[in-house]
Amino acid sequence: MPNILESQNLVKTYGDFTAVKGITFDIKEGEIFSLLGPNGAGKTTTISMLSTLYAPTSGDATIGGYSVTKDPMAVKRVIGVVPQDLALYEDLTAKENLVFWGQMYGLGGKSLTSRVDEVLEQIGLTDKAKNRVKTYSGGMKRRVNIGVGLLHKPRLLFMDEPTVGIDPQSRRAILDTVKDLNKQGMTVLYTTHYMEEAAELSNRVGIIDHGELIALGTQDELTKQVGETETLILHIGENEDPETLAKALSGVEGVQKADVTDHEVSVITADAKDILAAVVGKANERGIKIRSIDIREPNLEAVFLHLTGRALRDT
Amino acid sequence: MKSVASVSKKEVKKQSLSLCGKKVKIIMKKIFAIAWKDAIVRFTSPSELLFFIILPIVFTFLLAGGTPSNDDDNRIRIPVVDESQTAVSQQIIDELENSTAVRPEVVTRAEAQSQFDDRRADAVFIIPAGVDIEALQNGSAQVEMLQQPSNLNAGIAQRAILTAIRRVSSSVSAAQNAVRQREAKQAFASDAEKQAYFESSLTLAQDIQADAPERVTVIEGTTPDRVNYDPRANSSAGQLITWVFIPLFGISALFASERQGGTLRRLLTTPTTKATFLLGTISGQVAMALIQMFLLVGFAILAMKLNWGRDPLALFVILLASALAAAAFGATLGTFIKTEAQASGVSIMFGMVMALMGGCWYPLELFPTAIQSAVKVLPTTWAMQGMLDLVLRGGGLVDVLPEAGVLLVFAAIFLSVGVSRFRYE
Repeated sequence: MPNILESQNLVKTYGDFTAVKGITFDIKEGEIFSLLGPNGAGKTTTISMLSTLYAPTSGDATIGGYSVTKDPMAVKRVIGVVPQDLALYEDLTAKENLVFWGQMYGLGGKSLTSRVDEVLEQIGLTDKAKNRVKTYSGGMKRRVNIGVGLLHKPRLLFMDEPTVGIDPQSRRAILDTVKDLNKQGMTVLYTTHYMEEAAELSNRVGIIDHGELIALGTQDELTKQVGETETLILHIGENEDPETLAKALSGVEGVQKADVTDHEVSVITADAKDILAAVVGKANERGIKIRSIDIREPNLEAVFLHLTGRALRDT
Repeated sequence: MKSVASVSKKEVKKQSLSLCGKKVKIIMKKIFAIAWKDAIVRFTSPSELLFFIILPIVFTFLLAGGTPSNDDDNRIRIPVVDESQTAVSQQIIDELENSTAVRPEVVTRAEAQSQFDDRRADAVFIIPAGVDIEALQNGSAQVEMLQQPSNLNAGIAQRAILTAIRRVSSSVSAAQNAVRQREAKQAFASDAEKQAYFESSLTLAQDIQADAPERVTVIEGTTPDRVNYDPRANSSAGQLITWVFIPLFGISALFASERQGGTLRRLLTTPTTKATFLLGTISGQVAMALIQMFLLVGFAILAMKLNWGRDPLALFVILLASALAAAAFGATLGTFIKTEAQASGVSIMFGMVMALMGGCWYPLELFPTAIQSAVKVLPTTWAMQGMLDLVLRGGGLVDVLPEAGVLLVFAAIFLSVGVSRFRYE
């Protein structure tokens, strides 16, 4: 598959602060590519440069063969953007919003009318199309927010953390919509700080932290970077001291790394079963009560932990 | 080959023109879509109509002192109670009717008292029973007058009544003199002859008085009054500017709202330029302002009988120039203000202060000379003067062109600042 997006050494600085430090990656036509990283990692700034909102301080990117710095108007016709925060007119109905945004994408006449109806169907709001957006639930507003980005059938859809702050049911619906869109041939650049979403949706994942792309590849390729390891998650009581336990576990044979996350201690090891007894023993020695234990296969969370020494949820 | 090349060039030119035309059409559609969206958002709440038309009309009406009555009689109305019902009392009423200051309205005593008690009448004139020629002749005639305290109109009415009584009395005196003179020369044969002589003398005296030529010729000076003020015209123009300029300054709130809501950021990820957005937003607000202005002008013409429509082209030019200047100022404000709440407060404050200082609430002539010169930096001053040129001074297109020109210069300056400083975040 040809590349629809090629980013070359994109840099964005604000005074002394560098938000994005030379990101280079490409996205193939028809894939779902996720940018996974904690809040403040530079995901939104990267999308803002790619969607021509910000001019890069240096570097360039091409989308559909058009340069974001030299031909931004052509780029805008190729892309659709679903911003992180809702960007709708709450006093207008869903239909009025879609009609307005469709006009901004240059649609008009019958093609606009039929496309608005299609999108309303797609986001499941046909029967509530004439209600004002301000009367909608958070999930419904998110769906309209996505619908706006689909109106002109973009070749590449940017979705910037579209599931932030919504209920699990709406989140599920959005993830299913993304998969459906991809099945219909739409390329998606999806940013998230939820490892599970990136894992479920993506063909390839770029892990971004402090403005740098620190890993890039398929999930298999990325998890191989941390080797054949497993992660033992120890859930301890609120009054217990996780730092003491993590420190004690660092000395246990077979433990590669032990980190604290809230009231959990994450232990990376080659085989969780082999160290389980020793881990429980250490906790008992220090009078720390373990409430439950999870064993996780190698995943993107472990990759992030491995690469940064921090858990995604903590950052 | 030459002709093929020439055709091909023509084709290319034709195609590029057609492409250009399509682009312009798309941009125009976007501008209209933005304007239409803003109109829907603005009028989502029915309460907007209160500020758009209802309150402006109410304030215009109140500050103009109400609409004029259908008759053109501007004299002070005086309820008159005629309990005498004699020729003399009728003569007094007739004299009052001929007055240029007061207009008598004969009513019952109860009605007159009620009007006076309710302060609906500045003064009441009562002619009690017994006021006739005999009473005048023997000097026993007495009339009454009720007047509100410290009331200028009552004072004027009092003078008018005294004048009327004096005129009637002087006719009677003249007739009495004529009778005395006739009696000195030759005695009357009977009382009836004497009475007939008196009555014919009285009639003659009254006719002479009525036919008396005006002894004072009034020549109106050509020096303009220092204060050119008509409450209705000033209220109509001033309230129009106040209520239209504030929402136009509110373009700043519109910008802030689009920025805060993220819609401006999203808009600029679509194939829509910053210029298209600005044009759509500003032209939409200007169009709404023009509709509001024409409604207020319509009200002033129909309900207040003001002559706004003397020169429709001049009216359109001054209204459009005013709206453009205010909208451009709003656009500039929008680049300095961060939040919608700030923008709303600041635009109301600027609207009020500029209206006051621009002479929209009080005649500019009442301000000290230095202030009069200083406020020329405000668009409201020029808008007000331009509108007064039309509605108060009866001017036409040529008269409003200077003000319209200054307003367009304001628009150009503010728009340049606004566009150059415009940011979507």
